[in-house]
Amino acid sequence: MTAAQPLPDPTTAPEEPAAAAPEAPRREALYFALRNPKLIVGLTIVLLFLLVGLVVPPFLEHGPGDRYAPPLLPPSGEHWFGTTQFGQDLFTQFAYGVRATFLVGLLGGGIAAVIGMTIGFVAGYKGGWIDEVLNMLTNVVLVLPTLAALFIIAAYVDSYSVATQSFFIGMTSWPWAARAVRSQALSLSSRDFVDLARLSGVRPWKIIVRDIAPNMSSYLFMTFILLFGGAVLAAAGLDFVGLGPSDGMSLGLIMHQAVKWGALQLGVWWWFVPPGLGITAIVGAMYIMNVGLDEVFNPKLREM
Amino acid sequence: MTLEVSDLRVYYRTLRGDVRALDGPTFTLADGEIMGLAGESGSGKSTLSKSLIRLDGRMRYIGGDVVLDGDTVPVWDDRAMNDFRYKRISIIPQYAMSAMNPTRKIGRMIAELLESRGVRFREIRDELHRRLELVGLERDVLDRYPLELSGGMKQRTVMVISTLLNPSLLIADEVTSALDVSTQRAVAETLVEFRDREFVKSMIVVTHDISLVYQIADTIMVMYAGRLAEKAPAKTIIEMPRHPYTKMLLDSLPEVGVKYEDRRLSGIPGSPPGLLDPPQGCRFRDRCPLADEQCLEQPPFVEVESDHHVACWKAE
Repeated sequence: MTAAQPLPDPTTAPEEPAAAAPEAPRREALYFALRNPKLIVGLTIVLLFLLVGLVVPPFLEHGPGDRYAPPLLPPSGEHWFGTTQFGQDLFTQFAYGVRATFLVGLLGGGIAAVIGMTIGFVAGYKGGWIDEVLNMLTNVVLVLPTLAALFIIAAYVDSYSVATQSFFIGMTSWPWAARAVRSQALSLSSRDFVDLARLSGVRPWKIIVRDIAPNMSSYLFMTFILLFGGAVLAAAGLDFVGLGPSDGMSLGLIMHQAVKWGALQLGVWWWFVPPGLGITAIVGAMYIMNVGLDEVFNPKLREM
Repeated sequence: MTLEVSDLRVYYRTLRGDVRALDGPTFTLADGEIMGLAGESGSGKSTLSKSLIRLDGRMRYIGGDVVLDGDTVPVWDDRAMNDFRYKRISIIPQYAMSAMNPTRKIGRMIAELLESRGVRFREIRDELHRRLELVGLERDVLDRYPLELSGGMKQRTVMVISTLLNPSLLIADEVTSALDVSTQRAVAETLVEFRDREFVKSMIVVTHDISLVYQIADTIMVMYAGRLAEKAPAKTIIEMPRHPYTKMLLDSLPEVGVKYEDRRLSGIPGSPPGLLDPPQGCRFRDRCPLADEQCLEQPPFVEVESDHHVACWKAE
């Protein structure tokens, strides 16, 4: 969303130095942010994975599909995550997979979040026939068999990149977000301070951006995180049935190959555990981060 | 005249028909006048005060005119009303405790509010500081969140915000009902002070606390079942009410120091009529001890003495 930029606060801004040196709002948020263990732990884990996905691949000499090592080596100093049955290095695959996972999550989750929140806010705040129409649209998309639709799309589109996959996932996964945001916006728009803003003649979109959205910011972020996780899992599902991007590697694809080549039966745990843990850790860390962010930005939850 | 309302009709839409919550009140409000608006629940006083600022979804404008400082107020046009809201007609809501966005610092909230109404915050900042001082608040409340303020402080802050642009008409909607007695007095005095300093030109104080409104109001208007019953200077209403409803309403007020054994509170037997299909004629007829055949006809709201308007056949 186009959340309101923290304007230079005119009430505390220059001109009057004698105002008992109040801390600027941003510094205050930082003060609480740096003292919030949940936020720090969550953010650290997410950044760690992001770093792996962004920084590691360029330094690897082999591609994720290269078969150059002995098969089924357990984790060692040379092959940190071991190797596959075909002698592919699993750490290389993991690093590329994390990169694709973030891309799918951010793009797919981002598209779904933008559509879902826009529709949700407008429907919830405006109400009336606008709400009816948007709700109908939402419900129609909601009952579409998403996975089947994705299969068909994936089967028909020729050049299929991670970005294309994200786009289609985003376009099909927004409905529940729209419904969730709508119900929250609906309840918030009957709150007193929103009523007063309306009585003061503030324009609707400003009320949405300033009065409604900030009061559900953690909810919005939560929605995004869940959409992010959902997009990652949807991508993993597509990869699993062989309809993933033709070129590339993802955590879902690693798990798919592990299952396909009998890693479970062979007891090759290093093939399927790291990608599974990776997805869990990324989504879980974002969840913890969200709880922390809530405590930082909601003055009621702050602890000194 | 600041405000002239004539024959304003606002009904509530329901499946079973229109509820005639506001059925044609006609009155004027002079410059500098503080008018207390009294009546029991369902008398239409809230509908009247809401109609002057914003009709909600179920309210339907039927007819009538509202003129403020010579300009017609387009109460039926939600969009056109935006030019009036806050700048010329402002409201202190009943819910001052929760009237401020909990995630914004108060100063920033005010700045955003002003800016969205096309007023530069910097031009008004000094005045804002002065007014905060006037109501006994430090200027650093601007740098706090609403939850860091006490109830009384929030109330005063909202009063300052509501009147910041010097509106012609201020509607104070049950502002004292959630406060303790000593704070009530302070709030009431502040309202008078705002008028005396000409922050607001005139004021409608909606309340069912007649004894409080008597302290501050110049005139009191009593409503019953969507219509006006009586309007007169505050002193006259209290000492020489003409309308039987006003008399009975005043008799239902407890007096401090009078024991139950000495004088029982009388109350008004019966309850107000349903407004979905209101009875013909005077709506107070069923509960009125003076009612006769003449009351089957709607009594006009006439001036029986100078500045004393009554809608009752028996008021002569």
